[in-house]
Amino acid sequence: MVELTSGEPYQHGSLSGPPPVVRRFWQIHHRQRIRLWGIGFVLPTLLFFAVFKYGPMLWAIELSFNSYDMVSVPHFVGLDNYRELASNPIFRETLINTFVYIAGSTALTTIIGLALALAINTGIPGARHCMTAMFLTNLMPIIAVCLVWRFLLHPYGLVNQILQPLGFGRIDWLTSSATAMPAIIMVTVWRFAPYFMVIFLAALLALPQDYYEAAELDGAGAVRRFVHITLPLLMPTVFFVVVVSALLCARIFLMPYLITGGGPGNATRVLSMLIYETGFSYFKMGQAAAISVVLFSIMMAFTALQIRLFARSEQVYM
Amino acid sequence: MTTFDGAESERKTSSLFRHLPVLRKGIGLVLLAVLAFAFLIPILWMTVMSFQEGGKMFDLRTEWIPAVWHIENYPNALSRAPFVQYFINSGIVSVTVMAGNVVFCTLAGYGLAKFHFRGSGLVLLLILSTLMLPLEVTLVPTFLIVHKFEWMNTYQGIVAPLLIDAFGVFLMRQSIISIPSDYIEAARIDGAGELRILLQIIVPQCLPALSVLAIFSFRDSWDQFLWPLTVVSIDSLRTYPLGLVQFGEEYGNPATEQMAIAVLATLPVFLLFMILQRSINRGFGLSGLK
Repeated sequence: MVELTSGEPYQHGSLSGPPPVVRRFWQIHHRQRIRLWGIGFVLPTLLFFAVFKYGPMLWAIELSFNSYDMVSVPHFVGLDNYRELASNPIFRETLINTFVYIAGSTALTTIIGLALALAINTGIPGARHCMTAMFLTNLMPIIAVCLVWRFLLHPYGLVNQILQPLGFGRIDWLTSSATAMPAIIMVTVWRFAPYFMVIFLAALLALPQDYYEAAELDGAGAVRRFVHITLPLLMPTVFFVVVVSALLCARIFLMPYLITGGGPGNATRVLSMLIYETGFSYFKMGQAAAISVVLFSIMMAFTALQIRLFARSEQVYM
Repeated sequence: MTTFDGAESERKTSSLFRHLPVLRKGIGLVLLAVLAFAFLIPILWMTVMSFQEGGKMFDLRTEWIPAVWHIENYPNALSRAPFVQYFINSGIVSVTVMAGNVVFCTLAGYGLAKFHFRGSGLVLLLILSTLMLPLEVTLVPTFLIVHKFEWMNTYQGIVAPLLIDAFGVFLMRQSIISIPSDYIEAARIDGAGELRILLQIIVPQCLPALSVLAIFSFRDSWDQFLWPLTVVSIDSLRTYPLGLVQFGEEYGNPATEQMAIAVLATLPVFLLFMILQRSINRGFGLSGLK
């Protein structure tokens, strides 16, 4: 602030500083122009999301109160689509499957991802190459993953070949309703655990080393160092991984679609499959939109959690 | 390090224990290598089977080294269905989606990281909120929109909904935010335009994050199955995942040839990863790893 000593009004040029800029009304201030550039950089993305994310979601909500088969004009049916879902045993089973799948896959990928990261982070020479090798499972096309595992989980497939000498009988992984979901979860863990391993590893490498040196001087063993130093410091990353994994699993489609086709019965049918089938096999667009709204609500719960975490963390994750 | 009592006692221990760290590292490496190998088994199996004789895939004991290498599985598979066309379609889609993500996520990430306009916090929140709106959720209305645009069975129809991903925007924002703003201010004082600042100052400093973005957006669009399945109904526009699933469903096509196509589909992603690997490791924050 400039403090004027006399009572005279402040005048341009009376103090040392940049010469006054004479602006016409259509010329905007330098700072404002920079701000406009910033808005201009973000605008394409916002417009894109308006057309392909927010718009469709609003439309889905509207559609879920209508009956529409793509041929006749949609007509308002109120809550009928939701009522129908509530009384539909297949929908209920699918909803439960989705939650079981999210819970099982998220718990296992998080624990195994962390265990792998700890194993890589032991300073063993060559560990980096092992990490790269494991990460390849995350890059293999998902379609190839599904095709390969469908054969590996065949009654005479490689998984049973490996398990049989260990005393297991021949397990019909994909055709028995007790093992089909665990089998899909197993494939999911194989696919995603190495990815979360990388995220955990980045977090482990960023931990301050002086805590460990101090603990070592105090004679704390490896287990105590893990429980009392590593785990508490790693908690934000653990939460992050849990939420991201839950979001990834909530939208899973191809694995159950290709490996089991949702079967046996409906044992591995998940919500995204039901959306596709209801919409594009039976052309009940309104009903499919109602299922979309349910899946959206589940993901919203996870995302609310995630945005809170994102706001706190400044680390780069993908 | 200062000497402590521990160092004194360590000197007295026998020679076996003095080599313990080396021994432990050796055992650790073997265990890790076995673990990594276990993860690779399905990929190896796929590769071996792509060279096997048709019936060998359902053998009671997996034959890991083919008695005869059936290299002809590859040309046979490619000629049974227009897979070359499918791969070209997938390539067009994936490269476009990757380019779109790289360009728009960088722009938006820069805009959110270094410009403070009114509502920029809300905009970030809006963008992040699309993470709960993947295509699986918005499938029906997105289909209806693309239908309205009359983009069914077109490249732009396949590409459009995949063009920008919120994760990429967030990744770029987090990477750019750590670049000192002084650089940008200095360039502005020197009279550099905003686009020149972006291209010559920002982009060179966030290449690791860009590599991570590139590999993931390529993989995700190369993997995309549900959306092309919904929007494509003519054979000449099919992407390879659609072609491969149909190939598997048709009677009489040897499973080993499916594996050959699967191997061919895996190669581009692995190749891109190898090219970008150093940069990706830095992007993930793993450059400190031994």
